Amino acid sequence: MPRVNPIDGDYFRDERKDGDFKVIGKTVQRSDALGHVTGRTEFFEDRTFPDLAHIKIHRSAHHHARIDAVDTSEAERVPGVLRVITHRDVPSNWYVVLRLIGIEPNDEPVLAEDRVLYKGEPVVAVVADSEAAAIEGAARVRVSYTELPAVLDVEEALAEGAPIIKQAGTNYFVYEGHHARRLRFGDVEQGFAQADHIFDWRYSSAPIEHAPTETTGCIVVPQSSGRLLIHSNTQAAFFTLDNTALILDRPFSDLQVKGGTVGGGFGGKVDVMVEPLACIAAALTNRPVKFVYSRAEEMQVSSPRAAERIYIKDGVMNDGRIVARKVMLYVDAGAYSRHSPYGTTKACAHLPGPYTIPNVYADCHCVYTNRTPSSAMRGFGVTIADFALESQMDRIARALGLDPLQFRLRNAYRDGDLKAHRKVAEGTALIEVIQRAAALVGHDLPEEYRALSSTTPRGEAA
Amino acid sequence: MLTEVHVPEDVPAAVSLIAAGATIIGGGTLVMPALNNHGSPPTELVSLRRTGLAGITVTGSTVTIGATTTLAQIEHDPRLAILHPVVRSIASVPVRTLATVGGNLFARQPYGDLAVALVALNAKAVLASQEAPVELPLGEHDPATAGLGKRAVTRAGLEERDTARAGLGERDTATAGLEERAPVTAAEERALVTAVTFELTAPGAFRYLKAARRRYNSASLVTVAATITEAGGVRVALGGVSDHVVRAVRVEQALAGRPLTEETVAAAAQAGLTELSPADDAYASAWYRRRVFPVHLRRALLGL
Amino acid sequence: MKIVNLKVNGVGKTFIARPETTLLLALREQLGLTGAKRGCAQGACGSCTVLLDGDPVVSCLIPAMTVDGGDVATVEGLADGPVLSDVQQAFLDGFATQCGFCTPGMIMSAEALLDRNPSPTRDEVNEAISGNVCRCTGYEPIVSAILDAAERRRAGANL
Repeated sequence: MPRVNPIDGDYFRDERKDGDFKVIGKTVQRSDALGHVTGRTEFFEDRTFPDLAHIKIHRSAHHHARIDAVDTSEAERVPGVLRVITHRDVPSNWYVVLRLIGIEPNDEPVLAEDRVLYKGEPVVAVVADSEAAAIEGAARVRVSYTELPAVLDVEEALAEGAPIIKQAGTNYFVYEGHHARRLRFGDVEQGFAQADHIFDWRYSSAPIEHAPTETTGCIVVPQSSGRLLIHSNTQAAFFTLDNTALILDRPFSDLQVKGGTVGGGFGGKVDVMVEPLACIAAALTNRPVKFVYSRAEEMQVSSPRAAERIYIKDGVMNDGRIVARKVMLYVDAGAYSRHSPYGTTKACAHLPGPYTIPNVYADCHCVYTNRTPSSAMRGFGVTIADFALESQMDRIARALGLDPLQFRLRNAYRDGDLKAHRKVAEGTALIEVIQRAAALVGHDLPEEYRALSSTTPRGEAA
Repeated sequence: MLTEVHVPEDVPAAVSLIAAGATIIGGGTLVMPALNNHGSPPTELVSLRRTGLAGITVTGSTVTIGATTTLAQIEHDPRLAILHPVVRSIASVPVRTLATVGGNLFARQPYGDLAVALVALNAKAVLASQEAPVELPLGEHDPATAGLGKRAVTRAGLEERDTARAGLGERDTATAGLEERAPVTAAEERALVTAVTFELTAPGAFRYLKAARRRYNSASLVTVAATITEAGGVRVALGGVSDHVVRAVRVEQALAGRPLTEETVAAAAQAGLTELSPADDAYASAWYRRRVFPVHLRRALLGL
Repeated sequence: MKIVNLKVNGVGKTFIARPETTLLLALREQLGLTGAKRGCAQGACGSCTVLLDGDPVVSCLIPAMTVDGGDVATVEGLADGPVLSDVQQAFLDGFATQCGFCTPGMIMSAEALLDRNPSPTRDEVNEAISGNVCRCTGYEPIVSAILDAAERRRAGANL
């Protein structure tokens, strides 16, 4: 039987009443587990339909290139190929998934038109009777390219003289007229001037693929009413429905998404990658159509977590107080926006970490490069920033000969503190978490640090 | 695209299908990944599943393993205990149930650890073609360039033409230069490995160590297989350090007639570094493989 | 095209296979047994693991035509009506599932292990499922559930 840890009731005792917890601390069976262990859970691909047709994609061979010509004649001659789909068959080819929350411009084509911005970008879709015929058809599309200079690094993309790869005219997302999502609090230069020590370090991360065991896919079934029923493993059913309808230029009510059963998502299935083309193919052929990524496609072209590069400069006093923090953060969105403008904003909102610092300055850049577009993954924006921030905290503690937990406790935010983005912190609990973690691993803290509380306003106890 | 799957009932039928151009499939663990989800020219497969080539015989110290014997069958045969660490270091349980000994000879590096072990064991491949059967030592012909003898592999029938058909792309197992040194008849090129055979070593004389990213089911970073011979020599084969299995001749020469000590093995490893041409891949960098090799040679030969 | 006969979960089945029809696709698309999943079609993820003649195999790498006459066991055949197999019950009780996609393959690998080795060590369980990828990172409860199932099976055998 699974181990259930007892609830730690020592902290915030006066904020709880006896009997508050009905479920926490108890063992409750998952509602879907019986289906999982018997193999009866119905994933999207577990449905079979007579006359099912299949889509496979011909993808860009280059990081950045102009498309000179597309020849689909050989693909059309493959036995079993029903239809070849190009950008001309997509009613509203340009989109950005975040337009539903007001983000613009539409910067990504469903199928490439006159250029490709990353290796693996979809150019032509082939619909066929069988999966094998669709694979064969896609392999026989011929595309002529003129290669263009590619940018594959965030700082190179922003450097003077870099090739501008985006039609909007900048290699960065524009936030309300600015080159980055900005955070300004206090006077960071004055903070550095008064500091006893300056620490300036660089952090970087690689893209991370979610690699769900079930690859991204859907089956679209035309209904007798004319509606399209989409069986999908999307993590974002309504986002998918709305974006697909906008791409198809049809009313939202024409589509129905059946989903919710996802064979691993982790943020990798919130983009709208397969449903629009499957809907177009289903409408054109009036047959059920399946579009599912191969493992190779999942690894190469599904959006990974963005690579990030982060510079953190801190001004620190001899006693361990951080008095100024400046962060230059670069998110590699890859070739298209997807969810990265939002992820970059999240990164900015997370700065300067859970610490109260009087002077903060940050520029968080959402940068376009000729790499696979990145997007959501588990805490995107926050996770890599935390890696950098907490690495920075450890390194400073080591450099000053401070205990890393005491150093954090000294700077930890507390209820009532004004955060750099001008929200008053509440329910912080960082101090108590560190205290309990220290106790659990047998890390002794001096009495003055054990006496700290997140609900005691700064200045009264410390 | 797969156009036909033949399942012949005996070796002559398989050989004639191979001679007609069909691609061999043993367990399918090399061929099928290349065919699934990929476009390919029309491809006919000839499955060896029913050709009766599976089986292990041990006569005295002579071991003969049929080509379609699976890695799992070796793993569960107590007579082949010296190969148990080898096969258990390869792939996963449900893959080992399928993967065959014959197929492992043709695995692209950094896979094919059983082939590395067989070269160190001085094994021979038994070939059937439309001519008389022949035995070819693994890795004897051209040890400087090919542990598992490029010739042996080339002759064994899974050369350029087949692999191109199977969608496997370029393979190091077929090189024109080789044919210059040792002309191979057309019939031999289309031959089929039916078995491998080797002599069991004295207890403890065979050493095997594989560095991988995790303990189970991971490709080789560096694989060291060695047999300490009664004459006081060492026969060493390496995996993971080149595009083919490497017979480490310079290591062997450096150790010939010398006792195995930390000093002699370290010197042999330095000599051996010149024989490596490791690649950067998803598992490790070439730099890292060069760093790992001397350590694993030492651990394999000295156990420390 | 060839007619292929298999015994599946103890019942004779006949279907028509094309050259590219793998055992996995035959089970899923022709026999309606969708418990085994297609996660990679490369033999690397183990989602398609079934037993062939008693041994675990990645069914995505097997052309169906080559196993005519074979005996196949899938996750659908484990339960006896509403009564789960000991491995299934241990997975359920041990919260050894998350998204559920790897679960059928995991369970078949576990069944194969316990058939061969009734008292596996934790390390032997790790080896047995080393070809089954769980991306929800739930390996610890899975390994514990398999050890729990082994204990249940041994206890059952002693009754």
